[in-house]
Amino acid sequence: MTLWKKLALSAVALGAMVGTSSLAAADDVQITTVVKLAGETWFTRMDEGVVQYGEETDGVTTNEIGPGKADAAQQVRLIEDLIAKNVDAIAVVPFDPPMLEGVLKRAMDRGIKVMTHEADNLKNTQVDMEAFDNAAFGAHFNDQLADCMGKKGTWTSFVGSLGSLTHVQWADASAANAAEKYPDMKLVSPKNESFNDANTAYNKTKELLKKYPDLKGIQGGSAVDPIGIGRALEEAGLVGKICVYGIGMPNDTSRYLKSGAVTGISLWDPKDAGFVMNKIAKMLIDGEEFTDGMDLGVPGYTNMKLKKGPGKGIIVTGQAWIDVNKDNLDKYDF
Amino acid sequence: MSDFVWTNSTSEDQASMKRIGRWLIRNPPVFTLILIVLVSVTIGAIAPEFWQVSNIFDMARASVVTGLFGLGFLVILAAGGIDLSFTAIAALMMYWITTAVAASAPWMPMPVILVIAALGGTIIGIGNGLLVHYLRAPALIVTIGTSYVIRGFLLTFIGTELFVNIPLPIEEFGKFELWRVQTDTGSIAILPAYVLMLVAAAVVTWWILNRTLMGRAIFAIGGNTSIAERLGYDARKVQVFVFAFSGFLAGIAGMLHVSANRIANPFDLVGTELTVIAAVVLGGARITGGGGSVLGTILGVVLITLVNNVLILAGIPSTWQTFVVGCFIVLAGAVFGTRKSA
Repeated sequence: MTLWKKLALSAVALGAMVGTSSLAAADDVQITTVVKLAGETWFTRMDEGVVQYGEETDGVTTNEIGPGKADAAQQVRLIEDLIAKNVDAIAVVPFDPPMLEGVLKRAMDRGIKVMTHEADNLKNTQVDMEAFDNAAFGAHFNDQLADCMGKKGTWTSFVGSLGSLTHVQWADASAANAAEKYPDMKLVSPKNESFNDANTAYNKTKELLKKYPDLKGIQGGSAVDPIGIGRALEEAGLVGKICVYGIGMPNDTSRYLKSGAVTGISLWDPKDAGFVMNKIAKMLIDGEEFTDGMDLGVPGYTNMKLKKGPGKGIIVTGQAWIDVNKDNLDKYDF
Repeated sequence: MSDFVWTNSTSEDQASMKRIGRWLIRNPPVFTLILIVLVSVTIGAIAPEFWQVSNIFDMARASVVTGLFGLGFLVILAAGGIDLSFTAIAALMMYWITTAVAASAPWMPMPVILVIAALGGTIIGIGNGLLVHYLRAPALIVTIGTSYVIRGFLLTFIGTELFVNIPLPIEEFGKFELWRVQTDTGSIAILPAYVLMLVAAAVVTWWILNRTLMGRAIFAIGGNTSIAERLGYDARKVQVFVFAFSGFLAGIAGMLHVSANRIANPFDLVGTELTVIAAVVLGGARITGGGGSVLGTILGVVLITLVNNVLILAGIPSTWQTFVVGCFIVLAGAVFGTRKSA
């Protein structure tokens, strides 16, 4: 799937460059956030956080830019432009981290501060920020599921594919958590592959219901899994009888959250991530020190775990997942 | 020498064996049917949960999109061509029409939407057919190319995001029920009305292949193009027709996919081509062209859907499922191999 996407998109690497917005007052420090794809719901939401940090902080001008199409080569060009403009700091959400090694090294050589997000394998960065640890996130799904199921009963899990590293990490961590804490929960047919297709998730849920009529809990893997699982449960008339948790986008999943077919979804809020990325960039500009357990002043980012990255930089990790269910759905419009 | 009666009975046995053999060669779908029965009996023995009405409903539902693709592919194969772009056509029609209807005409009734999708698919199919004919390039390479172009167009100009605000008529169409059953475990099983679309498509395809001059021309061109052309069949007309027909069915399949799923994901469908091809070939169609039947294709689709939807029931772990499907296809292919040498 990704290969298809890459091939299709790189074939059309037409220079749909997004114009960088005008730089504000000359004495302000300039922090520019480069995202994977301009205009995507996720990054539009992130922009809110970027703008908010700029407005709340004196002496800082922030903006967000991104290629018109998710394409690593276009991201490289945008960063090259920023080096030419000599901004003070660049915050990047890389489309394909290894592709940016060269250009980010050039930026740092020029004295530009570099921080990244969702790129813990990147060498040429000073700070990489991760919203949460994947194992902790998986265990969190399992704890929610356990609460909903009354800590007992049959449950199963989905992954987008067995090759999706993070999905497998979540499912494995969830299974390990259940094995340790909830002896009465019985995991059956783990890690069903949905191939990131809601229809496959739907078909497999139907089959699971036949095989395990006493099924009480399902954990989704890819963001479309809860949609397929929710539809299967709605049609089978089992809404509210089976607990469903997984990663998902609030707007995409809203109808199933409202109907109760999906109990809850968890994700990290890109708005908070955008805010924190810029805060970290500012700390780099000011030469502040990063410490284990530091508080960045945003819920979920109050106890940052610090570890060494693959290069000279560090990785800071929060616990910034948010749980969305039908009661708080209205707060998240993305 | 042994006695006369004994020799006689042997030759009679051999003769009847040969008759059965000849009959099977003329009726390849019987092999597919036997495989379906074998798989069902095996899975039913392992997991008694298999024998449920709801399971038949689920198989029927899951067969629809694969079935429409399979019928289109069968017609192209019968004419000696091959097509790898039908899923891309379906994905484009599905996403483009759904988003456009949602934006400007959310009231549009489903039959009109289906006609637009079918026409859109037909137009792209005609393009495929003309390219295959005039470039004189292998259909395989041409349709790989067009599938990339179509998909690139979809992701670049139409969109990459999951679309959930499906217009009501599209959604209602998918919810229309033919039959509803309460299972003993307390859940409900529904046979959706859109399975009739596959039945209708199968009847139309059968009629074209067996009752029209075009059908005769398709098999003639698929059997031997140069002889058929000397006999007066128009290869261009046939090629354009088969690709147009495949596009027509792909357009409908795309809309049914949205209608059933209630979401339009531009990354859906593409990647299922090989499953469709496996289904058609397991249904007895010759990959080299000039053969194949609608009944066989439908049985092939049922067989593939069956195998893909009983692995959890059979208790096969997720990591092994693809492996098992692969082995099954090789084994089933071997069965067909023995048929051809018989």
